[in-house]
Amino acid sequence: MSSATETGNLALALRQLVKHFNGVQALSGATLEVERGTVHGLIGQNGAGKSTLIKILAGLYQPDEGTIEIDGVTHERLTAHDVEKLGIHFIHQDRLLVPSFTVGEALFLGREPRLAGLPFLDRRAIRRQAEKILDKYFGLKLPANALISELTTAQKQIVQITRALLDKPSILVFDEPTAALVRREADILFDLIRRLRADGITIIYISHYLNEIEALCDRATILRNGKDVSTVDPRTTSAAKIASLMVARDIEEMFPKTAATIGKPALTTNALTKAGKFRNVSLNMREGEIVGLTGLLGSGAKDLVRVLFGLEAADSGEIVIEGENGRPRSPAAAVARRLALVPEDRRGDGVALGLSVAENTTLASLKRFTRFGFLQSNREHSEVDRLIEQLAIKTNGRFAPVRTLSGGNQQKVALAKWLSRQSSLYILDEPTVGVDIGSKVEIYNLIGKLAERGAAILVLSSDLPELVGITDRILVLYRGVVTREFISSETTPDAILAEATGALDLRSGEHRNVV
Amino acid sequence: MSTVANPAIKDRFTPKSFGEGVVRYAVIIALAGVFAFFSFATSTFLTSANLASILVNNFTLLAIIAVAMTFAVSAGGIDLSVGTAVDFASFAFVSLVLSGHSVGLAVIAALASGAIVGLVNALLIAGVGITPFLATLGTLFIGRSAQQLLTNGGNPVYLPQTGIPPLFGFIGHGHILGIPVPLVIVGLLIIAASTLLFSTRFGRVVLAIGVQQSVARYSGLRISGHIGLVYVISGFVAALAGIILTSTVSVYIPNSGNAFMLNAIGATFIGTTLSREGRPNVPGTVLGVLLLSIVANGLLLTGLSFYWQQVGTGLLIFIVLAASFLNRSSRSD
Ligand SMILES: Nc1ncnc2c1ncn2[C@@H]1O[C@H](COP(=O)(O)OP(=O)(O)OP(=O)(O)O)[C@@H](O)[C@H]1O
Ligand SMILES: [Mg+2]
Repeated sequence: MSSATETGNLALALRQLVKHFNGVQALSGATLEVERGTVHGLIGQNGAGKSTLIKILAGLYQPDEGTIEIDGVTHERLTAHDVEKLGIHFIHQDRLLVPSFTVGEALFLGREPRLAGLPFLDRRAIRRQAEKILDKYFGLKLPANALISELTTAQKQIVQITRALLDKPSILVFDEPTAALVRREADILFDLIRRLRADGITIIYISHYLNEIEALCDRATILRNGKDVSTVDPRTTSAAKIASLMVARDIEEMFPKTAATIGKPALTTNALTKAGKFRNVSLNMREGEIVGLTGLLGSGAKDLVRVLFGLEAADSGEIVIEGENGRPRSPAAAVARRLALVPEDRRGDGVALGLSVAENTTLASLKRFTRFGFLQSNREHSEVDRLIEQLAIKTNGRFAPVRTLSGGNQQKVALAKWLSRQSSLYILDEPTVGVDIGSKVEIYNLIGKLAERGAAILVLSSDLPELVGITDRILVLYRGVVTREFISSETTPDAILAEATGALDLRSGEHRNVV
Repeated sequence: MSTVANPAIKDRFTPKSFGEGVVRYAVIIALAGVFAFFSFATSTFLTSANLASILVNNFTLLAIIAVAMTFAVSAGGIDLSVGTAVDFASFAFVSLVLSGHSVGLAVIAALASGAIVGLVNALLIAGVGITPFLATLGTLFIGRSAQQLLTNGGNPVYLPQTGIPPLFGFIGHGHILGIPVPLVIVGLLIIAASTLLFSTRFGRVVLAIGVQQSVARYSGLRISGHIGLVYVISGFVAALAGIILTSTVSVYIPNSGNAFMLNAIGATFIGTTLSREGRPNVPGTVLGVLLLSIVANGLLLTGLSFYWQQVGTGLLIFIVLAASFLNRSSRSD
C-alpha cells in the first residue's frame, strides 16, 4: 500500500472519487495519484470503474464526491474543454471518429491548416501532413484520403493516437489501447510510449494485459469494485500477485483444458479464394474442435472470416457447412446454417449500444421466442436472465441499455447472443478483447464447454499465448496464404509469431497494409 | 481526445431528479399546459362540442399519417412521401366510385395505391440503396407531377351530390355505437400499429435496424426485406387517411396530403421524448398528435391568423424537441 512520494511531484491526483449511475455504484472512493513523467498503469476487473475514473478526469462525468488536482491546482468542476486546455488528452476505450471523414479530416478536425491565412481548407496540405505524421509515429502508410469507415479497428485507433499527439499533450491517457492492435502494432505503441515518457510526458495506461503493465509501467494502481486497493511497482510485483489483488481470489489455471470428442466435419473449405485478399484456403474443422487462426493485419484472416460469414463474396472455391455445400451469400444465410460471429468491432457490429441487454441477447434468436409472430417476453426474459448469470454479466438488470455496461461486459453480451441462438459453428474474432483475467478464464471455460457439446470453434486472436492455450491447432495466414498449421500443444507463441510475420521478411521492416 | 460527443454520457433510466422528470414527460406536461391555457383563454375551448371537433377534425387524419411516419422513423428512416400516399389513395378512391365501382372495391384500390407508393420507396431504399430522405423526397416530387398530369394541371375531382353509394359518406360521417367512424378506424389502427411495433418479432427487428443497422445485419436479420416492408406499411397506413379525407369532403384535391407531412414528422419526434431511450413509439406519436391538434384548435379559437397558428405549432415542436435534446445530451444525473 504505497502512495506517491511528495505532493509537489504529482502531475495528477484524483482523491476519494465517488460516482453513482442510477443506483449503480461505479466508484466508491477511488484514489489515483500519478507522478510527473511516469507511466502509470490502471488495472482492474471489468466494471471495476477504470473507464469511469478516466471519464471523470476527462470532464465527461462529474463526480458525486471527491477532488481533482492537476499540477497542484484543485479543480471544482472540469469540463472537457478545460481538460484539453490543461494538456490532458485521451484515447478512449470507445473509439469515436466520424466514419464519413477521411483520415486527414479526422486528424485535423478543429485545427485545419489554412491556405496562407485564407479561410479555406488546404486539402493537399492536410493530406501531406497526415501522411508525414502517421509515418513518423507509426511507420505506417495510411492513405490520408481513405474514409474512416474503411479502416480496420487498429487503423482507426492509430489515427486517434496520432490525433492526440498532434496537440503535444502533457498527460496522455490510454484506455485499453492495445485491445485492438496486433502484436506488431502493439510493439510500435510501446516504443512510442517509452519515447513519450523520455520527453517528459506523463502517461496513464489502462490494460487487462499484465505483461504490458509489467513491461511498460513505473507504477500501477489496482481498482476493485470502484475503490483503489493497492498501488504497486509492477516490475517487482508478480503478475500472480497483481491478478489476485484484482479479483480477490487466486486464478488457478489460466487455460483450462477440456476433453471434447472430435466428431463429424463441421466446416470445410476447398481452395477458397478472394482476389487480393487470400488464395486457396483449405480449412477442415470438425465438431468439438477449437481451431486458431492468426496473421498480421492484411494477412487475409479478417477477410476470410467475412467470407465465411457471408459478409463478402469469395471469387472461387467451396464452403461446406455441416455437409451442406454452398457459400453463404449473406449473414442471414450463414446464421440460418447455425454459424455465429463475434466480430472484432464490438461497438460497431457486435452489440447495439442503444438496445437493452435483453434485446441484444435475443437478437439472433428471436424465432425461439416467437409464436404466431408475437414475442413471448416471459420466455425471452428467463433465457436472458439465465445467460446474464451464466456469463456473470455485470449489469443493472436485463433492461439496462448495453451502452451503460463496461467494455468487457459488452463483449459478454456479444457472446451471449450466439449462445441464445444455440449455434453450432462459432467464429470468435478477438473474443477476449477488453475482458479482465477472471472473465477471460470464464470465457475460455465456456469455449471449452461449447466444444464438449459438439460445437466447432474458430478463434482469431492476436493474443498468441491465449491462442496457443485454448486451441487444438492453429493456422497461420501470411499474405493471404495458409503457410503453416501448428498443433497447439507442441508449439509456442514465438514460433507462431515468427511464422505470422514471415520469418524472412521480419528484418526487412517492410509492413504493408491493405486498406 | 474524441471527435464527437461521447454517447456514453447519455444515461437515463428512470427519471431521478425533478428536472429530469420534467424533461422526460415534457409531452404530457405540455398537453396539460396547453389544455389548461386554452380552457381559460377562450370560452369555447372547453365544450364537449369543441373537444369532439378536435378529435374528429384535427386529430384523426394527422394521427393516421403520423403513425405511418412512425414506422419509417422506427426503422431509422423517414417518409417524406406520406402525403403522396394520401393523395394517390384519395385519387383512386374517387375515380373508382365515380366510374360506378363499389365502395368496397374502391377502398381496396385506394389502400393498394398507398401501398404502391410505399413499394416505390421500398425499391429505391432497400433495393437501390438510396437514403430514405432522398428516396422519399424523389417519390414526393414524382407524385406531385404525376397528380398534375392526371388532373390536367391540378384540377380537383368532385363527386356529384347524388347517385353516390351511402357507404361512401359513412366512412367519413357515420357512427358506430355512437362513435364517429374515423375515430373507430384511428383507434383500431393505433392498437394494431403499437402491437406490431411493440410486441412482435417484426417490430423488434425494425427497432434493431433503426438503432444500429450493422448489428442487426451481423445478427443474421434480413435487413432489406424488413426496411422495404416498413415503407409499404407506411404507404398503406397513410392511404387510410386518404380514404377518410375523401369521404369527409367528397372531393379529391391534388397534392393536398403533403400539408400533413411536417406535422407528422413533428408529432413522431415529439413522441420519442416519451421513451426512455428516445425511441419512436406509437403511443408517444399519438400524444404528439393530440398536442398539435389541441394547439391548432385552440389557436383557431383565439382568433389568431392562420400564419400565427403555424408559428405557434412550429414553436411548440421546437420547444418539446429542444427539451428532449437537452435531456439526451445532459450529463449524468
Ligand atoms: N453511463 C453509465 N450508466 C450506468 N452505469 C454505468 C455507466 N457507465 C458505467 N457504468 C457502470 O459502472 C461500472 C464501472 O464501469 P467502467 O466502465 O468504469 O468499468 P471498467 O473498469 O472500465 O471496465 P472494463 O474493463 O470492462 O472496461 C460498471 O458496473 C458499469 O456498468
Ligand atoms: Mg473500461
